[in-house]
Amino acid sequence: MADITGVFAATHTPVMLNFPDAVSVADREAVYASFKELGKRIAAARPQAIVIAADDHLHNFFLNNLPAFCIGAADSYETPIEPWLKAKRRWLQGNAALGAHLIGEAYAAGFDPALSMELILDHGMLTPLELAGVPGDLPVVPLLVNCVQPPLPTMQRCLQWGKLLREAIASFKGVERVCFLGTGGLSHDVGTPRMGMINEAFDKEFLRLLREGTDEAVVRYATDNVNLAGNGTEEIRTWLMARGVAGPGARFDSFFYRPLTTWYTGIALAEWQQVCD
Amino acid sequence: MTEATAKPRYNGKNWQLGMPDADAYWIDRILFDVQHKRPDFERFVADRVAYMAKIPLPQALKQALYDNDFGQMYLAGANPYLIRAHCLALRIPEDTFLDSLRAVGPVHG
Repeated sequence: MADITGVFAATHTPVMLNFPDAVSVADREAVYASFKELGKRIAAARPQAIVIAADDHLHNFFLNNLPAFCIGAADSYETPIEPWLKAKRRWLQGNAALGAHLIGEAYAAGFDPALSMELILDHGMLTPLELAGVPGDLPVVPLLVNCVQPPLPTMQRCLQWGKLLREAIASFKGVERVCFLGTGGLSHDVGTPRMGMINEAFDKEFLRLLREGTDEAVVRYATDNVNLAGNGTEEIRTWLMARGVAGPGARFDSFFYRPLTTWYTGIALAEWQQVCD
Repeated sequence: MTEATAKPRYNGKNWQLGMPDADAYWIDRILFDVQHKRPDFERFVADRVAYMAKIPLPQALKQALYDNDFGQMYLAGANPYLIRAHCLALRIPEDTFLDSLRAVGPVHG
């Protein structure tokens, strides 16, 4: 039986790698330091595998075949898929058995993910791992949720997915310690007339509700206000998944937030800390 | 599209379309293929008119692709992530990309 030893969420954006000079040195160093902190926290949780929820930005998937949810069950994953991303092409270790277990548990619980054994991971997965310095031999299980092309799965469903994953990871017998990372958000627009606008008020209220609010309140807020915060903000679905994985007893520690308009994004990193009994 | 056809307008929401229509699909198909398939990239860069000759898009939308008019692609419902990636793949300057989008947006549109 696996323990969930760390649950995290973090922004991802390709401009952190492609346009590092678009922000001030102080801002860049603060963001990079926050990702190093994420890396330290992940390392401290001593995971033997990490389940990462992110969105495929229409690279593996297209309008010919677009799953709402897809779980990877491969032994390894090439990354990045974007020919334009300034990141070294490499392979990440996978954990096919854990991926297959999650798919099976999902079906048994009435969820219907797609599966893939040949994903090439994009910047949504790679950027946080790269900046956090997570070693490439830590096996990953990608869980891709459609946040990029309507129709989109509901915020509520993503929270339910998190709760399902909490149970499903715990019943896996292949390893003892698993971490979970949701990546994306917070407020930002990509490829829209609002690109560069950040809704700081939305971000702060969303973070407050993750810390203090009920499931109902955070899902309601996300659902009702996401259109005021940008199409990239749809990625907060991965934060709701992380909340579900963390469970009701966790303390939400939002350890970094900075809105950076020239990186187009409200950048946030957080951990759900288990409170000792 | 003819002059008599009303152009779509910016709707102030995260997405122009709740489901892609055929025009959006074909723009997306081009943006995807040019980004991910090297032969498509080379054919597109060499001669955009020839590349799109057999693609069933209205002339006005083909023109948007000829002219790097990202704002019009956006209004037509093209996927914003594919527009974004297209600009990175073609090394379109950030200002050109952003200006084209903002020209159809809440301030100007």
